[in-house]
Amino acid sequence: MYRSNNMKIRMMAIVMVALVSIATVGAMSAEDIVRQMDALETFDTSYAEGEIVTTDRFGVKTSTFRSWSRGAYDSLIEFTSVAERGQKVLRTEGELYLFYPDAEELIRLQGAALRQSMLGSDISYEDMTGEKDTLSQYDVKLVGNERISGRDCYILEFSAKTRTVAYPMQKVWVDTGTYMVWKGEFSTKAGRLLKEMAVLETMTVDNRTLPKITKISDKMKRDSATEMRLSRLDIDVDLDPVIFTLQNLTW
Amino acid sequence: MRFIISLALKNLSRYKRRTIITAVAIAVGLMMYIVVDSILLGAEFESMRNLRWYETASARIMHPDYWEDRLMRPLDISIEDPYTIVDSLRKEGIAAAPRTMFSADLILYSEDFGEDGHMPVQVTAVDPELDNSVFRFEDTLIEGRFVESGTNELVIGSWFAEDIGAKVGYWVTLVTRGNGGFYEAMDMQIVGIVNCPNPNVNRTLLMVPIDTIGDYLAMEGAATEINITLPESAKIAEEVARIQQLLDPNGNNLLVVSWDDLARDYVALAEAKRGGTGMILFLVFIIAAVGISNTMLMAIYERIRELGMMRALGMNDRSIQLAFMVEAGGIGLIGSTIGVLLGIAINFYMVNVGIDFGLLMRDMDMGYRIQSSFRGTWNPSTIITAFFFGSILSMLVAWIPTRRALKMDIPSCLRHQ
Repeated sequence: MYRSNNMKIRMMAIVMVALVSIATVGAMSAEDIVRQMDALETFDTSYAEGEIVTTDRFGVKTSTFRSWSRGAYDSLIEFTSVAERGQKVLRTEGELYLFYPDAEELIRLQGAALRQSMLGSDISYEDMTGEKDTLSQYDVKLVGNERISGRDCYILEFSAKTRTVAYPMQKVWVDTGTYMVWKGEFSTKAGRLLKEMAVLETMTVDNRTLPKITKISDKMKRDSATEMRLSRLDIDVDLDPVIFTLQNLTW
Repeated sequence: MRFIISLALKNLSRYKRRTIITAVAIAVGLMMYIVVDSILLGAEFESMRNLRWYETASARIMHPDYWEDRLMRPLDISIEDPYTIVDSLRKEGIAAAPRTMFSADLILYSEDFGEDGHMPVQVTAVDPELDNSVFRFEDTLIEGRFVESGTNELVIGSWFAEDIGAKVGYWVTLVTRGNGGFYEAMDMQIVGIVNCPNPNVNRTLLMVPIDTIGDYLAMEGAATEINITLPESAKIAEEVARIQQLLDPNGNNLLVVSWDDLARDYVALAEAKRGGTGMILFLVFIIAAVGISNTMLMAIYERIRELGMMRALGMNDRSIQLAFMVEAGGIGLIGSTIGVLLGIAINFYMVNVGIDFGLLMRDMDMGYRIQSSFRGTWNPSTIITAFFFGSILSMLVAWIPTRRALKMDIPSCLRHQ
């Protein structure tokens, strides 16, 4: 009798824990998911190496790069492929500069110039160096769950709060376990699909699952796609503050 | 003196063949000079007119910051209430029309164009009711019709249409960034094709209704510019200053820019071309001068024996020199008259018809805003200059060999071969 009661209590406890767990997961709001998603993509410091492979009707072009980032605002990208060797893009809070070594010219980009395509890819300068504070820019809604690449994902729909964001509507598939975005659809206000993003391969860095190969397709331009392939990503590394200065850009 | 003039005229009629050949050489040189000057001046004049009629208008009002960033076509630096300004300018008798310029990606579909494609373009959003009071597109439509307000319609330049294989009725999509930076995609149907005399416009023009674009791009009634047309005779700098004064007291932080500042690149190019034009005219001048000199020298040298005979018969050197110069002046006068008349006749054709360089201009950009026919223009000062130049130069080139011949002794003159 005692054993039977003990079993019942144990069973009830397991059920209670399970219910609480389910309730906790179920109670996770869309905003919480977005915060987790943003936190995953924001590092104190990072260093990365990789390549951008651009495919369009003229063929395939590969540009290799190295990049350094600090916090949400500071980043430096240096292109290392032959055609673009030495070109640098520096972003500090509210500022973006390009350096062309052949012309020894430093260009400050602002306003509409930030929307230009980077090296003819489907990525703009503002995409590359954009700030990661999604909730200040978008209202978000959790609309369901779906399995993507064998992983359970939340489906989130974003609608822009302001006109200053590139994509008025976004739909993203966020991994329920790692909070990595597996897939994204970027649309106009009327819902016309402009770009699609998909993570093709992941890597684990510092216990975080992060995209290793990301494909961005311009849905308005057939046969146009850009793959961002990271070959190396170090997180929370010691970086010289000089990296994010204009003096460093022109050296 | 009468005898000398009479002798010179007799000589002119006696040596008809020589007179005609020399006069024709002078005439051809001067005619060339008049026609080349007319074509070059006409090209510059027509270029600047086509620039004003189809590209820049006479002047443009814009936000001062827009002028700095104009190449990026920012939509957020705009004129908030353009129609109030347009109305106030119209009350002053100044025709004005708002426009919004923006960059976009033009997406083409295989259903209409045979294959998918895209290209960066500049789009001009116009007010269909007001735009033709400033620009002159009303006579340039070769197919379809102009855009109507509130529609997703587009008018395209004829060369651009040829390049992409566009026809009236085809659909395209414009993908661009709205006011603030958001992406927008707009489906537009081509309803008209224009063929205007400005090749730059013909190569690139995409015209859409400003109200439709305003809705899509969240312009909230704003426009990026107001274009103004002024009479051809108006002093642009003074009018620009006057319009600036009209705007300033109303608290408008706006800038009025004249067409030559808007087309600074072209004006600089035109100035450089003017240097080249001067060089071409100088070369034509040299060719004409050498031709005239050569024929006059030949004419004088072959008559040294005649000159010796006149001296032997007792005619003094001064009278002989004068007779030869009057004769040369007569040939110059005949040549110049024929040259000027020929030049005027050809120029009449050049001014009214011109030479069609359409095939050449289609595939190359010479900087001129002329699409096909290079037309001449009337330049009376060149015609008068050419006339006096032909006559006086003939006399001058006759003076030198005559003087040299008169320094020879009479037997040498008589033996001269």
